[in-house]
Amino acid sequence: MKKTNQSSHGNPFVNFFSSIKLAVFLLIALAATSVIGTVIPQGESFQFYLERYGPGMYKLIRTLHLYDTYHSWWYVTLLSLFALNLTVCIGRRLPFTLNLVRRDSLGLGPDKLRRMRINHQWKLGKPLAEVKGELLPLLKEVLGGAREREQEGGVLLLKESGKWSYWGIYLLHASIVIIMLGALVGSFWGKKGNIVLMEGDSTDHFISRGGVGKPGSRVPLGFEVKCERFVVQFYDNGAPKEFRSDLVIYEDGKKVKEKDIRVNDPLEYKGFTFYQSSYQGIPEVLLKFVISDGQEINVSIPAYEQRLLKGVGVAYGIMQFMPQIHGVPAAKIWFGQFRGTPPQAFWLVKGHDREIKIGDKIVKVSMVDAKQKYMTGLQVKKDPGVWIVWVGCLGLILGFIVVFWIPHRRTWIWIGEEEGKGVVILAGQANKGKLAFEETVKELNLRIDTALRERSWV
Amino acid sequence: MGITNSTLLGFSTFIYLGAAFLYLLHWVFRLKKVGVLATGVTVLGLLVQTAGILLRWVESYKMGYGHAPLSNLYESLVFFAWCTVLVYLVLEWRIKTRVVGAFATPFAAMSMAYASFSPRVRDSIEPLIPALQSNWLIAHVITCFIGYAAFAVACGLGIMYLVRGDSKGDGIISSLPERRVIDSLMHQTIIFGMIWLSTGIITGAVWANQAWGTYWSWDPKETWSLITWIVYGVTLHARFVQGWRGKKIAVLSIIGFLSVFFTYFGVNFLLSGLHSYGSQ
Repeated sequence: MKKTNQSSHGNPFVNFFSSIKLAVFLLIALAATSVIGTVIPQGESFQFYLERYGPGMYKLIRTLHLYDTYHSWWYVTLLSLFALNLTVCIGRRLPFTLNLVRRDSLGLGPDKLRRMRINHQWKLGKPLAEVKGELLPLLKEVLGGAREREQEGGVLLLKESGKWSYWGIYLLHASIVIIMLGALVGSFWGKKGNIVLMEGDSTDHFISRGGVGKPGSRVPLGFEVKCERFVVQFYDNGAPKEFRSDLVIYEDGKKVKEKDIRVNDPLEYKGFTFYQSSYQGIPEVLLKFVISDGQEINVSIPAYEQRLLKGVGVAYGIMQFMPQIHGVPAAKIWFGQFRGTPPQAFWLVKGHDREIKIGDKIVKVSMVDAKQKYMTGLQVKKDPGVWIVWVGCLGLILGFIVVFWIPHRRTWIWIGEEEGKGVVILAGQANKGKLAFEETVKELNLRIDTALRERSWV
Repeated sequence: MGITNSTLLGFSTFIYLGAAFLYLLHWVFRLKKVGVLATGVTVLGLLVQTAGILLRWVESYKMGYGHAPLSNLYESLVFFAWCTVLVYLVLEWRIKTRVVGAFATPFAAMSMAYASFSPRVRDSIEPLIPALQSNWLIAHVITCFIGYAAFAVACGLGIMYLVRGDSKGDGIISSLPERRVIDSLMHQTIIFGMIWLSTGIITGAVWANQAWGTYWSWDPKETWSLITWIVYGVTLHARFVQGWRGKKIAVLSIIGFLSVFFTYFGVNFLLSGLHSYGSQ
């Protein structure tokens, strides 16, 4: 904001927070400290910092919250001070701008006009009374859309544009505060978290990551999300081409919305937005057990899950999976301890059955088939502050445009009489884009000059 | 295979190097005709480069995964050079002085040379990964790079101002524009860059919100763009409020561009984050 010369103001608090020096200091402090969080990795475990930086630095990192710099007490304090500073600056400057906007641009006399940087004067060869009837309408037409007032024995014409542009600086600076408010609303009333869903599964809650609810807690959605299918596609060069989850929303058991979401193309329902964020391939293996007592059991089991083998009563599961070994899938199967038989694990390859002894039974295990199932990772967000942020962003850009490119231009023409002869003074002022304005006034000058000469008044 | 985008972009690299050299000659020996030639060569370079960029766009479609050539480090360097030349030519046309070219075109030439010759920069056309498949990519990259280009030109003007010093007489130094003129140009260019940088940050936020669900995640690239924004914000206030002019602003303009440079390269090479695809 522009410099204000008044230094005496009753309230020391207001004085302190309206100082532009404080603003610059805070900005520099914010810029300098922002570097920290780009150099020290953020959001890692305490163990990570201890190992990487040693005990001394680790203590500093913990004390100053450098593992989450931008949400640390001191960084948030700097941001808040900056917001306060901006707000006070805005409030304190308002009266000056009001005066500026209200000031009477028609209250000027010829002497003031002559002192302006852009001015031109014509001395007419005739008394004003003789030409006024024709001159005044002529000048009004040349100037276009002017206001007029009797001034110091003559008439002052004024054409003014862009007076409102003085408010641009407020729009610009207030927008920064608005953006910060939007962020604040989001952090107080926003919800964010994750959902992990196997294909075919559904959920009515998500795991909080911050905002409302402690990290790790379950937050209800109020409806149900189901992942019908997850699809991943790759380009020929191996780079990922598409991650897609086919989602369906159920409310009170009824299907209310469905959408195939991709990165950059989320689903929205009741203020919640679901984003595609990650995925994991989970192999599912179809096993056949033939037990020595004649029982035959077929099971489909996802990797890393534990099951109980009926008919024997032993726990088992898949601890490792290879989709391709010599062209066929293979899985490492484990069996728990069972009545004297120690735990055992072995690789089972499709097409190669294995016979093992568990307790007093012989079990033949074979892999019938294996297929890849997917688990999709979704991000969930509800941010009531986001539209406030967008309003602020829009205001910021508009503010910039007004502040830098909309000039306040004033062009005056005074006609009067001095020493018994008519006088015409043209003068102009612009607060920015001065070169372009000078050109405009020059043109005006030429038109007036030509008109005066045509009538032989000069 | 005929003319490919690499052929044309390779040509434009040499044309820009030639143009930078001609602008330098024009300045040092004050040869008006060389200056006119320099402008002609620069315009030619811009045309060839534009054709190269368009051809690259077409080629990507022929490869089956068409996208605007704004998706990796190579393409961004090429686009940066393109913007810088464009911003400079507009400036030259407006102020009718060619000396600034000796300080502005080298940025474009260096960017193209780095893109073409550095082994770190892969120039192959690659398909877009899911995170980049968005129309916001184009808006975000274009706005950011117009900003960067303006700041590069402002930095060139800053260097020019410092070189100019307050020497009088008729040496090569004093053939530079008046200090008052350089100062005003620098100010205008910074304002121009600031508006584009702001728009670039905002389009990035809109995009991030759509792809990841957060408009701001303090990723190193985001943070550094904010730092850059603050540096130029402080520069503008130093001028408006403290009345700083000339030398101090020239220094700030150079510091600002260093910050731009770090946002662009330093973050990619030294820090990790969401913008990692910009480093290949």
